[in-house]
Amino acid sequence: MIEVVNVRKRYRRRYVLDGLSFAAEKGRITCLAGLNGAGKSTALKVIMGLAPYQEGAVRLDGKPIDRSSRERISFVPDRIAMPSSMKLADALQFMADFYASWNGARARELMRFFDLKEGDKVGSLSKGMAAKFNLVLGLAPDTDYVVMDEPFSGIDVFGREAVASVFSSEWVEGRGVLITTHEIAEIEHLIDHVVLLKDGRAVRSFDTERVRDEEGKSVVDVMREVLLA
Amino acid sequence: MNRYLKLVHMEIHRFRYFLLGLMALTLVGQILTVAIATSNEAAKFRDPARFSIDSADKLSFEWIVRISQGMFALPILISMAALLFYVFLIWYRDWLGRSTFMYRLLALPTARRNLYLSKLTAIVLFVFVLLSFQLILLAFEQLIFHWIVPADIRGESVFTDVILSNWLFEVLLPLSGSQFVSLYGFGIMAVTVLFTAILLERSYRIWGIGYAAAYVAACGFAVYATPFALGVNQLGSYFYQWEIFAIEAAVCFLVTAVSVALGFRLLNKRISV
Repeated sequence: MIEVVNVRKRYRRRYVLDGLSFAAEKGRITCLAGLNGAGKSTALKVIMGLAPYQEGAVRLDGKPIDRSSRERISFVPDRIAMPSSMKLADALQFMADFYASWNGARARELMRFFDLKEGDKVGSLSKGMAAKFNLVLGLAPDTDYVVMDEPFSGIDVFGREAVASVFSSEWVEGRGVLITTHEIAEIEHLIDHVVLLKDGRAVRSFDTERVRDEEGKSVVDVMREVLLA
Repeated sequence: MNRYLKLVHMEIHRFRYFLLGLMALTLVGQILTVAIATSNEAAKFRDPARFSIDSADKLSFEWIVRISQGMFALPILISMAALLFYVFLIWYRDWLGRSTFMYRLLALPTARRNLYLSKLTAIVLFVFVLLSFQLILLAFEQLIFHWIVPADIRGESVFTDVILSNWLFEVLLPLSGSQFVSLYGFGIMAVTVLFTAILLERSYRIWGIGYAAAYVAACGFAVYATPFALGVNQLGSYFYQWEIFAIEAAVCFLVTAVSVALGFRLLNKRISV
């Protein structure tokens, strides 16, 4: 389980995370939802050690996150995080070189699924193709958790369908997924748990199925109720 | 160690065209200089108005290097400027632009000090590759000189004299081992100070520019002022010259150690993307 416990992170004079606590379990898809500036991306960066924080703790299965955790949590950032001059084949090799958890066969499957060509350069990819390639880099390693920041950003409608189908595929099955997205409707039926963020705090946390069954509300309905109140 | 070497390999791979470009610039610039200067000088020797050539008055490669100071130095100065620029670029290119590679680098399952050390190693290697290339090129240029100049007017040059005949070679290729270690040790210290300044800026952004400037100024002051504070320019100094040199070396070592330690700490605790 990835646990974020009472994390406070200050940026200049403002707390962008102000006592944030939530957990993402293995085998479930957890969505961090909120309006722009709520602290969703910052929360993911804190988990990945890409942003320092002043207070609180981040744990993986009860232990503080350290560099060895990076073999167990893969990250799909909201931008292509490989040099523009690199060929996709070189980027895959880079990952294979540095990650013991890298699964080359899965990477090739994902490349085929997203119709990506290894000879293309990272810099020549459209925004949508770059987002798909980011998913390849994030999903190919044999990690227990995948942390995704806006994986639908810049992808066209058919591409979004393809990406959404990944969430119900064997590539994600059994792993814990922590995702931030503005395209809630696209994957609402796949999400197990939602954490609503407002002003750097978790203001509500709920299981989507329970809310759907007991309250007859969609995720967007709850978001509207809580965040726009 | 393995991942550190892979990072060094990656850094060299990313700089390879830039490095080849600098080598090509030096090659073309210096060979053209040698060819043109040698032809001109050889023509002067064939001038009938000139008095007869005796053994003490021959055209040597050392002379060609001596009279072409600027043209020999120019590609090297350009390479030095490019490497200085690259000290900054090696960090900033991973943060700026469409591809924020720093996301990937900082998330690697390896100690972050390896990022710092791989970039530092790459810069040092580039310097030594260019130096080695210059030495090989000088030998090649001497061959070209031999092809152009007829044996009867050609004087021989000792390689060390060739190096001493250009002010920049004299600085960059010191003949004594201790001078070599001092010069390149000083260079490595300067790079670590700049790396730390860059990481201060990246960690604290706008405030970081001030911190970086203050850090560079403090290091510069410590290194520059120490010999004067110890009386290097005074006749009746309390210290012997070698003692002042040893203390200055210790200060440089301390500045390097503090810069590297601070750089590691910033990468581990403060840096963000």
